[in-house]
Amino acid sequence: MPSLSPATSIPARRTAPALVAGAAVLALALAGCGGATAGSSSTASGDGAPVANGAAQISVSVEKVDGEDQCVPDFSAAPAGPVTFTVANKDASGVSEVELLSDKRILGERENIIPGLGAVSFTVTLAGGEYQLYCPGATAETQPFTVTGEAANAAAGGVTSLLAEGTAGYAKYVSGQVDSLVLAAAALQKAVDSGDVQASQEAYAAARPFFERIEPVAESFPDLDPALDLRVADVEPGTKWTGFHPLEKDLFEAKAITADSKALAAGIVANVATLKTLTGELESSDAYKPEELANGASGLLEEVQSSKITGEEEAYSRLDLVDFAANIEGSQQAFEYLKPALEEIDPGLTKQISAQFETVNAALASYQDPAALGGWKAYTDELKASDGAKLTALIQALQAPLAKISEKVATA
Amino acid sequence: MLGAGATAAAAAAMAHDGASGVEQGALPGTESHPFYGEHQAGISTPPQDHLVFTSFDVTARTPVELQLVLAKWSAAMAELTSGDPVGKVEPARANAVPGDTGEADGMGPNGLTLTLGFGPSLFDGRFGLEPFKPAGFGPLPAMAGESLDPAMTGGDLCIQACANDPQVAYHAVRNLARMARTSVKTRWTVLGFGRASAGANQSTPRNLMGFKDGTRNITTGEDFAQHVWVGDEAGQPWMAGGSYLVARKIHMMIETWDEDPINDQQSIFGRSKQEGAPLSGTREHDVPDFHAAAAGGDAPAIPADSHIALAAHENNGGTKILRRGYNFTDGLDAVGRLDAGLMFLSFQRDPEQFVSLQRRLGASDRLNEYIRHVGSGVFAVPGGLPAAGSYYGKEFFTK
Repeated sequence: MPSLSPATSIPARRTAPALVAGAAVLALALAGCGGATAGSSSTASGDGAPVANGAAQISVSVEKVDGEDQCVPDFSAAPAGPVTFTVANKDASGVSEVELLSDKRILGERENIIPGLGAVSFTVTLAGGEYQLYCPGATAETQPFTVTGEAANAAAGGVTSLLAEGTAGYAKYVSGQVDSLVLAAAALQKAVDSGDVQASQEAYAAARPFFERIEPVAESFPDLDPALDLRVADVEPGTKWTGFHPLEKDLFEAKAITADSKALAAGIVANVATLKTLTGELESSDAYKPEELANGASGLLEEVQSSKITGEEEAYSRLDLVDFAANIEGSQQAFEYLKPALEEIDPGLTKQISAQFETVNAALASYQDPAALGGWKAYTDELKASDGAKLTALIQALQAPLAKISEKVATA
Repeated sequence: MLGAGATAAAAAAMAHDGASGVEQGALPGTESHPFYGEHQAGISTPPQDHLVFTSFDVTARTPVELQLVLAKWSAAMAELTSGDPVGKVEPARANAVPGDTGEADGMGPNGLTLTLGFGPSLFDGRFGLEPFKPAGFGPLPAMAGESLDPAMTGGDLCIQACANDPQVAYHAVRNLARMARTSVKTRWTVLGFGRASAGANQSTPRNLMGFKDGTRNITTGEDFAQHVWVGDEAGQPWMAGGSYLVARKIHMMIETWDEDPINDQQSIFGRSKQEGAPLSGTREHDVPDFHAAAAGGDAPAIPADSHIALAAHENNGGTKILRRGYNFTDGLDAVGRLDAGLMFLSFQRDPEQFVSLQRRLGASDRLNEYIRHVGSGVFAVPGGLPAAGSYYGKEFFTK
């Protein structure tokens, strides 16, 4: 974790999110109502903003003035405490979001500030210090904003502590998945050693999800992921192909267990043990960063699109939907651990992502099949041909908002 | 071969208008068309060289989501047609995802126009837009000569992107689709690599059959007012100054056409191949005389079942449409033929103008032996936006 400066530990207002989220939605529904203050003064007053409803009130007007997209608050200072920014875009097409930054951390923001739509607002609780109002796309993108009064106590919770709780929780989740993977790998080895192909297939299908849920973490160890999960197309000529997939080939294509198969299963057990050691170290050293969770959540959706929907991941067993579901579950878990902090930062986006996860999960449910190996329909060529495009659209609609959270939770 | 040629043409256009522009004296891609105005650009705009046509299904479930898409698109279209990105190509923060995908960075507006249309299905019950449906607006009726692929037919929304550089048009549609990904899904798309219709003061280009196309196109203000722009007859103020766009993806059986003798080709079109003159005259812009007899006989010089005779306004009660089509190629089809043809786009005041012409053509046009309509859509194109701060469909969401 980076050292905490006063400015990065501003406690966010815990009571605000529901109110703020409601305001944003309401404002959209009431398109056309202007929220900006009258006139088009291009400079903010340096006086402290007036306080109303328990919060300092700042109006930010976004508009085109002399051909330039302007984004200007009516006051550039406020007393410490809750501050509400109400943003209306009159006609500046190039600006669609406004953020309040402390150094480079986003404390609060609103997207979809579009000309013609109504004003939107967000509230953050600020301690004394220097902040920046950031309007990407405006001619002058950054406006200084000063808060007078007490600096916050560095230990006081807020978004920073919510993020810390989230990363710690995710670390435990990963360790739990790896513990299960250790057991599943042992069961797989036992089945393979017994020479029972069908039992081995079942053990293979049972082990895969534990790995697929936390794949981005495994991928962060550059030797381990290829040793465990390399597909045949990615094997360097002259090197040995190891891990799950050559064993998959033996079990599902050749349907025969050889001495090589047994060596592969033993190798999986050994590498999974290494993974347990490494992820244990990550957990005990609080090494996960919020942006890593966010990138991992998005990365899992990338995996779904690039190797599961194409049917390349489980080319012999057709278990791609087993991995698909595990990737989605792992992605949602990472998101859920960030969610409490993200709700403070951007409730609208958080709501949108939650809704997209619901849509994906509801759609995926129709592919469940208790009778099939791994509990999911086999991803046959026919299923790929009929449903591949639908699945792609589904995942893209989830990844588009999910990819945005990394910068919002970044601690760097 | 054709695919390779198209790629080479696209590459040449990119080198010509590309970001460096070193080979040229003039600044690259600076031509631009105003985004705001009485009519949307991309209709009376003289056709640019390249097209990306895309139709979308709305997957959003609430009117607010649809409203956001239309407001976002309207603002973004204003930026894109000015040659500006729709967000940071290279954001300052390390963890930020680029807002704009970047492939048109520095290429200028390149004559880009973006024309938005609403399909009939948008006005079903999903978003409560039934009261805003233009009078008589519905899907095109089934007609002869069609074998429509449902995957290339219809759509709730469409965007016609035209530019003098294919990458600029592609970039625009790609980014519009991207910013709306949670609410809309691309349904079908066609890349047109060469214009196949002439606008005012443009030389007449050729379709892939080698014939000039669009010689008698609408060019005058009077014709636009009479045949293209919608007035108050749609019963919807948002359609005033708008038009109806008909899109037809027409596959050409090019290989068999290529082996057809020249006299047959010419009599099918009713024009000479090189000059493009009607068979009753000698020059391209000679007015066709459908009563003139062929030399040494009683038969008409322009056969009655030729394409121009069937389509001419003189033979259709004065009906005219604005054609704004593009040649397309998709490589090879499933049985190894060139997959290419005409992305027919027309604008008219009433879709019935197209329907009545196509009924005649579908029934007796000798060209039908060499073409198949495989994709189709009809869209209500709203009037232009007056100024920044307005967006397409705003009337749908304000009581």
